[in-house]
Formats: sequence, C-alpha cells, structure tokens
Amino acid sequence: MPPKRAPASKTRNRPPEHAPTEALAPTRKLASEIYEQLSEGEIPRMRLPLRTKQNIQFQMREGVWRLGRALGTRSARKLDGALMLLRTFYLVDFINEMARESKTSTLRELYYISEGWEESKFHSEDESNLLIEDLEVLCGRLREDFRLHPEENGASVIGDLTIRETNRKGVVKKINCRDDVGDGGYALPFNVEREKIEFVSTNARFVIAIECGGMVDRLAENGFDEKHDAVLLHLKGQPARSTRRFLKRMSEELKLPVVVFTDGDPWSFRIFASVAYGAIKTAHISQYLATPQAEFLGVTASDIENYKLPSDALSEQDVRALQAELTDPRFATPEWRSEIELMLKNGKKAEQQSLAKYGLNYVTDTYLPEKLTELGVLR
Amino acid sequence: MPRVRTLAEELASKQREISVAEFFERNRQILGFDNPLRALLTTVKEGVDNALDACEEARVLPDVQVEIAKSGPERLQVSVSDNGPGILRREIPNVFGRLLYGSRFHANRQSRGQQGIGISAAVLYAGLTSARPARVISKVREEEAAHVLELLIDTQKNLPKVVSDDLLLWDRESGTRVELVLKAKYQRGRQSPFEYLRGTAIVNPHARLLLVEPDGTRITYERVSNDVPPVPKEVPPHPYGLELGELAFRLKASGSRTLSELLPKEFAGVSPRAASEILAKAGLNGRESPGSVHGDRLESLLGAMHAVRLLPPSAESLSPIGPVLIKRGLRNVLGEVRPEFYAPPVSRPPKVRAGFPFLVEVGLVYGGNLPSDQPVQLLRFANRVPLLFQQGACAITNAVQTLDWRRYGLDQKGGSGLPTGPGLLLVHVASTKLPFTSEAKEAVAEDPELDKELTLALQVAARHLRTHLSRRNRRAFAQEKFDIILKILPKLAAKASALVDRPVPDLTPVITKIMDVLNVETTQSTDPKTVRLATEITNYTPRARVLELFVELPPELLGRASFDPIPEGTDPELGRAWWTLPKLRPSAKTQVTVEFPSGTEVDASDASWFVAGIDEGHLLGAEPLPGDWDVRLPRAIIEAAEAGLTEPTPSGETEVDYDAAEASARVEDEE
Repeated sequence: MPPKRAPASKTRNRPPEHAPTEALAPTRKLASEIYEQLSEGEIPRMRLPLRTKQNIQFQMREGVWRLGRALGTRSARKLDGALMLLRTFYLVDFINEMARESKTSTLRELYYISEGWEESKFHSEDESNLLIEDLEVLCGRLREDFRLHPEENGASVIGDLTIRETNRKGVVKKINCRDDVGDGGYALPFNVEREKIEFVSTNARFVIAIECGGMVDRLAENGFDEKHDAVLLHLKGQPARSTRRFLKRMSEELKLPVVVFTDGDPWSFRIFASVAYGAIKTAHISQYLATPQAEFLGVTASDIENYKLPSDALSEQDVRALQAELTDPRFATPEWRSEIELMLKNGKKAEQQSLAKYGLNYVTDTYLPEKLTELGVLR
Repeated sequence: MPRVRTLAEELASKQREISVAEFFERNRQILGFDNPLRALLTTVKEGVDNALDACEEARVLPDVQVEIAKSGPERLQVSVSDNGPGILRREIPNVFGRLLYGSRFHANRQSRGQQGIGISAAVLYAGLTSARPARVISKVREEEAAHVLELLIDTQKNLPKVVSDDLLLWDRESGTRVELVLKAKYQRGRQSPFEYLRGTAIVNPHARLLLVEPDGTRITYERVSNDVPPVPKEVPPHPYGLELGELAFRLKASGSRTLSELLPKEFAGVSPRAASEILAKAGLNGRESPGSVHGDRLESLLGAMHAVRLLPPSAESLSPIGPVLIKRGLRNVLGEVRPEFYAPPVSRPPKVRAGFPFLVEVGLVYGGNLPSDQPVQLLRFANRVPLLFQQGACAITNAVQTLDWRRYGLDQKGGSGLPTGPGLLLVHVASTKLPFTSEAKEAVAEDPELDKELTLALQVAARHLRTHLSRRNRRAFAQEKFDIILKILPKLAAKASALVDRPVPDLTPVITKIMDVLNVETTQSTDPKTVRLATEITNYTPRARVLELFVELPPELLGRASFDPIPEGTDPELGRAWWTLPKLRPSAKTQVTVEFPSGTEVDASDASWFVAGIDEGHLLGAEPLPGDWDVRLPRAIIEAAEAGLTEPTPSGETEVDYDAAEASARVEDEE
C-alpha cells in the first residue's frame, strides 16, 4: 500500500468531500514554492523522482522494484516543462471542481477536458497519463483519490474462484468465475480493491496469466482450468493496473502460485517484468501492483528451439528492445541475461499460438504440463 | 575561318554516300527524335534557342511564342515565333532546309545553338513523319512584306526543296515564325516543353515567353528585366588547355608572317611581352615564319605556352546571367512556391578549360511549398539552355551528388547522391565550347577543371544555406521561449498566485532569465511614399545593456536611405551606418527605422544587422560585429564589455531535465 493512500479507497459513490480535496494538499505547497520562485525572479521549477530504468531500486522487504532517489527538474526554462507546470495547476483546478460536484472522470475524458486549457491542452493521452502519474508521485496518492480512473478494461478471469462484488447499484453479488459467467469469463472492473471485490473461496491450485485472448480461449475450450484446477487470467497485452492488482491479491490473499504465459519475444519479457517486478512508469506504486512470486513459464527462447516452434526473425526494434533489456536492472539476473542473450543469438521470436503447429490439444496436453512440472507447480 | 572537325561534321561528311533520311534514322537518338515525346521537346527547344539567339544578336528584348495544337492522331502542329531580326529570303531555305548549316558553330563565343543541327533536323523529322512541309514566315525590318516559304528537305541531296514561295503583310516589324506538323505527343512532366520553358524563363529574365498547350492553356512568363544580355564577344582560344593539333592548325591558317606577331593575335591572354617570354622559353625566334614550326619545335612551343603565366581568359566571350538576374528569374518562376530563402546567387569568375573560357553559376532556393520529403530539384543549364535529359550522366549532377550536403544541413543518404529537402538548385555552365556527352547536348561531360569550379560554386551556395538553417533553428528555439514568456508564464503566475491568494508578482526578471537574448527584429512596411524597415531591439537579458548597432546595406541603397535616429557615423563606400543605443534595461526596447523612397527595390534581407557589446550566444536576429570592421569602439561599449566580466556565471549545478528524461525513457521502453 502506498504510504498515504486514503483508507479503503472510495472511488465511486464516495460522499462529497470538502473542496479542495485533501489528497491535493501537496500541490498547495507546490503553488507557494512556484510563487516564491517567481517573486524572487527565479525560473519556476519543481523536482520529481525520475521514472526511468536508471532510477529504480530493488526493495528487499517488498520484493519489488521501486522508484529510486534520483530527482529530475521540471523547469519553465523549456517549453515542455513550462507546459507541464501549468497543466499541473489546471489539473488541480479540475480535480477540485469534480470534488465540489461529486463527479469522477475517466482518463480519456480528462484528455478531452484539456481542450479548454488553450495552449496547455494535452497533445496525446500519453501526456495526460504521465501528468497524473506525476501527481500521484507528488502527492503520494493513487489516481482514484483524484477522482480519475481508467475505462473498464475488461481483462477477464476464468476458473473456480468465487468472489463477492459490490456492483454499480450497491448490490452485492456472489460470483463463481467459472460457473456463473459466460464464455467471456468474469470481467475485471477497474476497481478491484477489497471494498469492491472480496475473495470468497477457491479450489484452484495456481493462476496462469496469459498474454493473448486466443490462448485463453484455447485453454478454456480444452478444459484446462478444470482439469488442472487453474485460474486463467487474461493479461490483454501489457496488463492494466487493475489486472496486476487483482493478480497480486490472488497471489497474496489466496496464496496461489502464479505463472505467466506469453509470446516468446522481447515485449513479452517486459510484460512479465511489469507483472512480477513492477513497471517503470508505475514504479512509485510497485509495492501495490507487482507480484514478486510470479514465475515466467514461456514461451522462452529455448522453447522455440526445443519445441521447434514456427518463428519469425527478430526485427530491428526487437533487437533494440532486447539490448535495452540487458541494461534494465530488473533483468539483471543470470537467468534473464542468458534468456535474452539466447534470443539475440538465435534471432528468433515466436507467438504462443505457434504451439498449434502440433494440433489444438498440444498446448494443454503436452506443453503446459511439461513446463508446469518443470516449475514445480504440477507434480 | 579556322575549322575544327567534330563528330557532327564527320557524320555529315559520311552522309554523302547514304541518304540524309537514312543518316537521320540511324542517329535519331543522338539528334533527340527517338520518341514522340522527345521529338516534340527537341523541336520546341531548337525553335526557342534559335529565337532567343537571334533576338540577342539583334539587341531586341525577346518575345517568343510557342503554340502547340492537335493536328490529327499522334500529330501536333508546333509553331515558334519571335520578334527577332528576321532572316533574309535567300537564307531561309538554308537555315531550315539543310542539315549542319549555321553561322554560330565556328564562332568562338557562347551561344545557345552550336552545331546548327537543330531546327533543320526538326524540319526533316516533321517531313518524314507527316509528309507536310515546314512553313516559315520571316520579315526583316528593311522590307515591307514578309516571305512565306513552305519547304521540305530533299533527303537524297540534303538540299532544301521550296514547295511554295509567297509574300505576306505581317503585323510585326521583324521576326520569324516556323510551323511544323509532326508525329509527337504532349504531356507535362520533367521532360516537357512546359518544364523547358519554365527553365528558359528562369535563366532568361529578359525574355517574355508564352506557351499555348494543346488544350488551350496559356502559360506566360513575363519579362522581369529590360536589359538584353550583352552579346558575347568572339575571342581566340586561350593557350591553357590548348592541344597540339589545334596549335598546328592555327599556325598554318593564320595570315601572320612572324611568330611574335601571331601569338598575341591568335590566342587570348597572350600579351606581346608574354609572347616573347613564350618564344624565349621554347627557344624559337620571334621573326620566324609560323609555317616553319613542326615536330619537336611545335611541342616545345606548346610546352612554353602552357608554362608561362598568362592573363586569364576574358569573360567577354561569355554571357553569365549574373547574381541579380538569377535571383529575379527564380523569383519570377517560383513565386507560387513562396520559398523562405533565396541564397545569394553565386557567379564564379571565368576559368579556362582546353583553351576555352567557361564559368559556373549557382542559385539555391529553400523552403516554402517545395516538397521536403523528396530529392532537391536540380535545374541544369548549359549556355542558358535548360538540360532536361540524361540527368544521371551529367557532370553537373555528379558535382551535386558528390558534395556532402549533410554538412550544410540537408539530408543525404550516406553523404552522397542528391540531397533530400525542400530545395531547388540552379546550376548554369557557360562556355564558348562546352563538352557535352553527346551531340544531342543533353548532359555536360566530366572534366576536372569544370568539376572543380562546380564544386566551389556549390559549396558557396551550400554555406549560405547552412547559415540560413542555423539562423532558422535559433529562431525556432527563440520562438519556443517567446511562447513560454508570452503565453504560459503569465498563466502559470496567475494560477500559482490564486492558489496562494496573493497578487501576481512582476515577471520581468523571470522573463529575461528565460529568454536571455537581445532580440533584433526587422519589419517591412510600404506606403505610397516610402518603403520602411523598422528594426526593434529588445533587451531580453537580465541586465541593463549599452550596445552599439551597425547596419550594412548595398552601398547604392545606403545613398537613398534616411535613418531615424540619425546614425553616429556612416561609411557610404561600404554601405554601413552605426548607432550607440540608449541604455536598455531588462525588457526595454528601442527602434531604428530606415526609409527609402517608394519604388526602391529593397527588402528586409538586404539589410544585415550587427551588434557590439554582447556575445553571439545572446544575439537573435543580428550577428556580432565582425572583427575586420575597422570601427572605433565607443567608450560605452568598452565599459559594457568590462562590466560583462563581472557578470555572474551560471551556476555549475547540472540538473536532469525531468520531461526530457521521461520522453527518452518512453522511446526506449515502449512497454
């Protein structure tokens, strides 16, 4: 949990708070600092911890990678910096306004709200997301505390897991993620905190987090979850915060082992890193999102060789991504180094679904049992 | 008249055994008639070149019309008319009806057409493909009526055959019109009459050109200069680059009785004194008869001629376009493209190659609506004639491609090849005798001397471009800062002040810290009486400045300028004026205006501004005072410079730019 997170986050149906919202208290300090700088003839600036791979540090206690101490300066000397400083104040105004009117906003809505901010409007959603993360860092809060939340992302869970969800109307529903849901599984809401979702019971023995929807479908159709007592979690590419948070809760509260099953390419390595070690962009809240117990199942570079999988040649970007990973502290273990170097050496990548080369049952009957046994999840 | 045998003549001499039609068939490609598109262009080109040459010789401002109309399937009627001196009745059949007949080939001066192969070849081609005679109307000033002749070429004898011969009352004082019907195809494109006339208009700003396309579209290039270029004078060859055969020929053909008489007469750049030096070096007696020099003695004469220092060849035989007209011609044709930058055109002094003088000119245009993702447009010209074919085989292209344009701010893959960017390059090579790769005169042949000059000229133009681009970058950088101080900072201050509930502080110190430049900006305005250049000098630096401002104008403009305030000094010869500005506090500004009487051809780019008392890094829109300007520095400047020594140096603290770090991390870690 982040240090100052409000007790039991109240993202929705939250009673109106007195405005301005308390979560923004540090921004008043920022305003007075900037005011001081201006009156003293100094170029306005603020300092923030750098969210770069050079500035993440391993936290022994939590077993995750968190933001280090290196600070960067956002200064009005440069156009980008000046714009971000001004946007910070626009954003603060907007949040206070929402608080007064008991509203919340999606990240995408915020992007469009900024149309009214004249020259300081956001040029991309990336920019608005970054600023919100900056505000999280500055205030030591989560974006939900600022009444901002992502759109429902719809990552899904399939398996024998029973939860209790308080839905939009305040009605509590008990849902089994295999028996009470359709083929699409149980769709995760953006808020997966305890006040919204409680775990009731499970017979599952482990969780398998899967990159692609097609592979989730394959495992479900083949009855893998029932046969092996597994919970299938669809990551949908680079997983959203709620997906990562939900996975962490399953790992911690249900004590289920977690394995991650992705494509065999450099981008999938990064998906695993953000699941298990913490993403760089959200390094300020890694302790809350990362699942250090998660293990990488594959597809590994050696799987491509051992299972003779149909593969593609690494593109230039792939090679650059792998080389960047070699300087990423999260991958600085002998195991990852040799995995990355092997992929670079072979120059090949493969999709999860390339396992279909051997027929539709191969992945569930042969590949996964072999790999899970190797990891000690299955015996 | 001395003669040189060339490939063309050799071809002509052989054709006695074969019919001229057969000769033509065999040589269609080199003559420029190998396909309907090209045949049309060659016909237009020969007609226009002749028209322009004729007008220039007669000192007339050319008015040339090219009309192209449909005349049946795959057939076009082409007519080219001019307001030149006209052609005498008896010469008309020879000029249009005989291959290799011309007056210019043997003249040792620059002209557009050289071999006289052109227009009669078009007549021949027209006759072969349409069986229709050429119709020529020509009138000379001295006669009342124009002659109208229809003629064909007798392909057996290479002789003109006059089909009809008539008189016509023509509404012009003099001029020539030729009409041909030929198998041809019209299409706009890189190698089209359209492109050819556009190019011709650029390098002939004294001509008015009209093109009527088959669909009736009329394209007019108006005259932008009323000066007919001087007719290049005929000059003898220059000894540098002279070859043995040519020397032997000249000794034999000359009417001079002695060597010392012959040398200064037959060769350019040889004074009587240089002649005796040459003869002494060659061990020859000046009184000897030229006819008696053979063998080894001939060789030592040539060696001596190469060794002795001679005057450079005279440029009188050449007709450069000149910087002023290159710029005007480019502006005239590129108006709709609105280029942001015209580099000062480069006109190199004449040099010698193989005994003949030549010179290179380069114009460079950048920006505006020129496409930025394509190779720069290269317009090649030889003796004021656009070259549209064989770009790849041309020495001009090669010189452009071998220059490393990356050093001058253009993209160029691997540092060779045509650079990419919104640019247009004009390269003109003028010579009394140009080396072409073929008789069709479509590409200039490689030559080390020529290449050297081309490279030098291109480098000068490219350096202007680099200066422009670096200024533009500085301006863009400054623009960013203007955006900060004008748009963002006031709002940021208002927001922060509102949050702490206090009045907005004075932002001047912050503004000057962010900008930290002295901004010199000139705006131009024109009213019925005056053209005014108003230059505003704003001190966006954090401390008060005493500065000296200098302006440099073309000297002829300085004479017509009136200044406010009155300058402290001027140098009319060099076109300079200067002021000591009143002390400028941070954020303060002052203005200097220069006014010219209306109609003065002047724009803001004619004035260069210089400032003393501040270093280059803090100057925007002006340059630091060049070291070679011999002006006394006023006491105020010296004081300011001394005060500068105590200026606090920026703190050594190196800070990481948070947003830049974020941006680069995002690029690397596309998660």
